[in-house]
Amino acid sequence: MHKKRSNTVFLIIMTISFSVVFFLSCKESSNEGMIVFTQVEGDIQKINYITGNSWRYIPNSRIVALNSNKSGEKIKVLTEDYFSACSPDISYDGKFMLFAAQKKQNDIWQIWEMNLENLKIRQITSSSEDCFNPSYLPGKRMVFSKFTTIDNVKEGYALFTSNLDGSEINQITFNPHAYFASTVLQDGRILTISRQLFPEQKDGMFMVMRPDGTKQELFYKGLKGSEIHSRGWETNDGKVFFIETDNKDKEGGDIISVNYNRPLHSRVNLSSGIEGDFYAVSPIQAGSLLVSYRSSDNDRYALYEFDEVNKTLGKVIYKDENYNILEAVVIKKKERPRKLPSDLNMSVNTGLLLCQDINFTDVQSVEDTSSISKAVRIEVMGIDTSLGIVDVEKDGSFYLKVLADTPFRIQTISEDGQVVNGPGSWIYLRPNERRGCVGCHEDHEQVPYNRQPLSVRKEPIILPKQLNKVHKEKDS
Amino acid sequence: MKKSKILIIFGVIFVLGLIVYFPGRKAARSHVNYITAVDDHPLSCTSCHVYTSQNKWVSKMVNEDYYSPFNMVVSNDGSRLYVIAQDINELMVVDTENENVLNKINVGVHPHSVILNKSGKIAYVSNEWSDNVSVIDLVSSKVIDTLKTGNGPAGLALSSNEQFLYVVNVFGSDLSVIDLSTKEEIKRLTTGNNPTGTALSPDGKVLYVTSRRANMVPYGEPLISDLTIINDSTKTVAKYLGIESAYMMENVAFTPSGDLAMTTLIRPKNLITSIQVERGWMMNHGIAIIEQKEEGRVVQLLLDEPNAYYSDPFDIVISPDGKKAFVSSSGVDYISVISIDSIRTILAESSPKMLKSFSNNLGISSRFVIKRISTGANPKGLTLSPDGKRLYVAEQLEDKIAVINTESLETIGSINLGGPLRITVARQGRRLFNNAGHTFQNQYACYTCHPDNHEDGLVYNMAGKDMGRNVTNTQSLREIGGTAPFKWNGKNQSVYKQDGMRFSAILTRTEPFNHDDLDALVAYIVTGIKHPPNLMYNPDGELTESQIRGKEIYNRSVDNLGIAIPENNRCITCHPPPLYTDLKMADVSTLSDTDDPILFDTPHLHNIFSSAPYLHDGRAETLEEIWTIYGEDDKHGHVNDLTKMQLNDLIDYLKSLRSPLYDDDKSEVQHGTYIKSN
Repeated sequence: MHKKRSNTVFLIIMTISFSVVFFLSCKESSNEGMIVFTQVEGDIQKINYITGNSWRYIPNSRIVALNSNKSGEKIKVLTEDYFSACSPDISYDGKFMLFAAQKKQNDIWQIWEMNLENLKIRQITSSSEDCFNPSYLPGKRMVFSKFTTIDNVKEGYALFTSNLDGSEINQITFNPHAYFASTVLQDGRILTISRQLFPEQKDGMFMVMRPDGTKQELFYKGLKGSEIHSRGWETNDGKVFFIETDNKDKEGGDIISVNYNRPLHSRVNLSSGIEGDFYAVSPIQAGSLLVSYRSSDNDRYALYEFDEVNKTLGKVIYKDENYNILEAVVIKKKERPRKLPSDLNMSVNTGLLLCQDINFTDVQSVEDTSSISKAVRIEVMGIDTSLGIVDVEKDGSFYLKVLADTPFRIQTISEDGQVVNGPGSWIYLRPNERRGCVGCHEDHEQVPYNRQPLSVRKEPIILPKQLNKVHKEKDS
Repeated sequence: MKKSKILIIFGVIFVLGLIVYFPGRKAARSHVNYITAVDDHPLSCTSCHVYTSQNKWVSKMVNEDYYSPFNMVVSNDGSRLYVIAQDINELMVVDTENENVLNKINVGVHPHSVILNKSGKIAYVSNEWSDNVSVIDLVSSKVIDTLKTGNGPAGLALSSNEQFLYVVNVFGSDLSVIDLSTKEEIKRLTTGNNPTGTALSPDGKVLYVTSRRANMVPYGEPLISDLTIINDSTKTVAKYLGIESAYMMENVAFTPSGDLAMTTLIRPKNLITSIQVERGWMMNHGIAIIEQKEEGRVVQLLLDEPNAYYSDPFDIVISPDGKKAFVSSSGVDYISVISIDSIRTILAESSPKMLKSFSNNLGISSRFVIKRISTGANPKGLTLSPDGKRLYVAEQLEDKIAVINTESLETIGSINLGGPLRITVARQGRRLFNNAGHTFQNQYACYTCHPDNHEDGLVYNMAGKDMGRNVTNTQSLREIGGTAPFKWNGKNQSVYKQDGMRFSAILTRTEPFNHDDLDALVAYIVTGIKHPPNLMYNPDGELTESQIRGKEIYNRSVDNLGIAIPENNRCITCHPPPLYTDLKMADVSTLSDTDDPILFDTPHLHNIFSSAPYLHDGRAETLEEIWTIYGEDDKHGHVNDLTKMQLNDLIDYLKSLRSPLYDDDKSEVQHGTYIKSN
């Protein structure tokens, strides 16, 4: 009798346990396939590509969720307690969402994380400067843009990384640029829109770098005068999608795809035959994109499907006559990018730069080199002062040890003191970073020749000269 | 029994369990840390006590005998595929229509290549580790003859009149010319370093032989590997064609019209400090095109793309219409399909300067690669059906043959050769070893610098600290199981540490191996690597008279004048058998100005004959140079009293050294570790 009773009790306990597990698992998967997006009531304010205002952080915006599988279901506002909230980014397991928000109108923008299962929100950053455009990094970290002051550049947005509890905040970019709209490629690098601000403003371009800020290089550069309007999204079939505009006064542009394998030479405009503007794009599944689209300036942006293969606009997913719908993303699990190792050493205050041949330019100009003066030295230029002039070796190589996290540019100089090339783009080296380049203004698809540069047979030249003195004092 | 008693018993067991558990766990942690030399390896007993076990029963249980298809050829009517199953020493006969294995023919040890005569009735199979060629009657499926060759027969070709068989000897770096009427080797021609692939031109006039290793030069000198061109009618070397900045030319093919020859290759960046992987800074992979005309150009084009590398190109075949070439990129499991007309256009439109710059350009592949087709693990040999409509791909670590439609360029089938279905830990390790997926953007695999699990003969500047310093000679991975520590500086006390976090930060520059993968890789490196025999210097285990004299010198304790040699300066002290290393660090006066002041790990000497160059920075091109040019101070052993003949004897003896497993009968059961030659 006792045995029977205990069996019954055991069965009841097991049934309850299985039910709990079952319903919990149902709840876990209930967010899969939902779409979250940024909404803005009324007209979109004029976009400022320099400061990011109304572009990368949008006042009076909100993040909402839509279950596109349930017809007729209303959207759910996820950020009701916030004056502004935008830039949703979904974690790799599909369970959390990072976003940028300000509680009240004049608050500093901070980064927050929402648990998508119970919709609880926690604040990650507590910065005295605006933080926005967060993106998950592998290893429970994130990357985001933050306002920072760089010498001689009054307004600039650098990239920072931190743990998801807000600890270990590290600045990873140091150029006088504005860095916005970061995302993480499957190879583990950060893809970000970068725009030079000093000494003159330039068009934004996609740069890539390792999460420690090292090995920053050009990924994609648009046509002259164009602007990269949205963050890039990489898909499993090796494409990167984004919005680009050739009209800076417009709040939208065309859908562009490039191949990850060869991004500088694989640009395809997917929406060139479609009237109207696109504001943002993100992948749904292979061949299908989620886009914010409006047919004319008088319309609001609405959410549509886009057939990437046939380059056609599909059905409307959600539309609201009072609201513009921006930055939409599907909640789903996705493959975690590689977690890249770092060889930074923060106890070292320098980095090493090797250039194989300053006179090497690119494949196309191979034939024209005779008409160009040969450079024999370089000038390394800081933001407001020259860091030094250095003779290069006979093979055109140089090997420098420079102060870490300090931006500089290089111009090449001929025997008679004339500038041959440059100054080039801003470069910085992270502490203990060792970096190489083939030449100055080289073809970005050129690999180095297999020859030992004469310059590495000697000790590196230390710049600025004051640093040399410090090193010598340390040695003594 | 009373309830209280039961409770007491359980209580005592629980307390005892706690007492054993915590110190036991601590002891286990300490043991695992000591063995693996890292402190984060999971407490998994199987990692060392099962997967890397040398016990024959354990080894038998955890390992399998895979087939590992390597090269193959199609019959004249296209109905049969003859596949080299390298790891089981067989030639498999496959029905291409029904996609099944019809027959298996035993051949020699570690077969490499197979070719058919024009009638298609006779097959020749080179047996790389038994120094012979099996002649097979395909009608009866019987080996009807065995032809003796040079050391390490690999690539095969028949002379245009089919009277002679050309056999490329990979270890001997030469080519055997065998008269098929007398079955005797009539000539041995010197080729480039470590040759493998060969092809006869369509007009039957010249034979091309590739080489995998570059010619030996001091570090800093330009890298050149030779394509050996042999005159078919005179059976003489017509030319050694130097292919600049390249090595690992595995195979070569001619267009049907004979206007171009094409070979696969790798362009290493060993002279540049290895400070990054981005922008092709370490390894590039491509092809060389050799125009077949007077003053014909040699052009190299990369198969790689700016953010994607196609590592370890192995085989190349050209369609009968001469329009397409197919290259197997064995490190990334892809076939690259090449438009040969596009290559002709590039050759026609570009100046010599432009062509030279293309050899270092990652964008050029977009002008001639028309498709990348994914395959199973480790695609090696390729062969086309006679009508050119089907491409067969030997998926070495899949035990399958992929079938690709050459018109649609889609995979249309997969022939399962019937190997073990289970993927063992060591097999997984071998897949990882051969795959570039664990390097940033797939730029290189372990195999790239350690081809055949050995070394590539190059010296690299690994940039441990400052650039240009501490150049290091690549070390072989054969027989390293018991020879820790690793690296020349002896910093890694285990393979786990060697291939761990630091490895990924400095070398692969992407996410480190997870623990399962690391276990698999270690299992393969420690127990799964096959060791070729030393048939060149020690074919039967007996030493020659010279080697016996050399052994006495090696073991000696007094010099020629009868003066005692200090114990720490005798060969035998630091290089004692059976491993020929004392596993200690030493200063043998080889530190150079560009080295950090460190001691060097004493290397083992097994099969040292095949590991040139020598010393930590590869400065000695030969064993002799270690003591003549670089050992004048007698600090690397007491040798300066030796006569030239004595030095010759010592070197003869050193070259005879081979794996201790080779003479150990117990080792027979170590799957995939050791195979005794015929």
